[in-house]
Amino acid sequence: MKIKLLAFAQVRIELGFAESTVECSATETPRAILAKVAPEYRPDSSVRVAVNREYADWDKPVGEAFELAIIPLVSGG
Amino acid sequence: MKTHIELTHQAILPPPLPTDDREIGAQVDFLGIVRESEAGEPIAGLNYEAHEPMAQSMMQRILADLALLHPCKEVWIIHRLGFVPVGQAALFTRVLSKHRKAALHLTDELIDRIKKDVPIWKLLEGTKE
Repeated sequence: MKIKLLAFAQVRIELGFAESTVECSATETPRAILAKVAPEYRPDSSVRVAVNREYADWDKPVGEAFELAIIPLVSGG
Repeated sequence: MKTHIELTHQAILPPPLPTDDREIGAQVDFLGIVRESEAGEPIAGLNYEAHEPMAQSMMQRILADLALLHPCKEVWIIHRLGFVPVGQAALFTRVLSKHRKAALHLTDELIDRIKKDVPIWKLLEGTKE
């Protein structure tokens, strides 16, 4: 399956893209999927991941997800 | 509780005051304004970006949570995106309630939750004077 990978703010700058499409399987984790496109990047503890627009676990399989978003420390308001 | 959530690239215009509900006894408006310096350095403004669909759904969920704790009549959230110059508002909230405490508490907790969980970021890139 294909999943849309989104990067925002500082992570977008570090990874060099805002959006990418990645081939993966439902059993893969967000951490493993991100490593396919950015093998050198290691998210620190302040960086969260969202699967289908819900905060999720970096190490839980994504299932039949359509979107994975890398969410650095938020700073709105 | 009625809710209005908006992400906009335009300057924030506070909505007109409600006139049809005579049971509203408290109105708390909050504006988050861009200051002229960040980490001691002068800036011209801040750039805001968001994961817009997720930001919308997170704010809706936060309001659903807070409505259970602090029942109010109506809440507005307007967050500006893109470049926001110094002195202009990046965030507007309005809470209308029967009594002041619910509106004050909801406002305070709402802004804390937005800053903690809603995927909106302020960026300094391209904003130095």
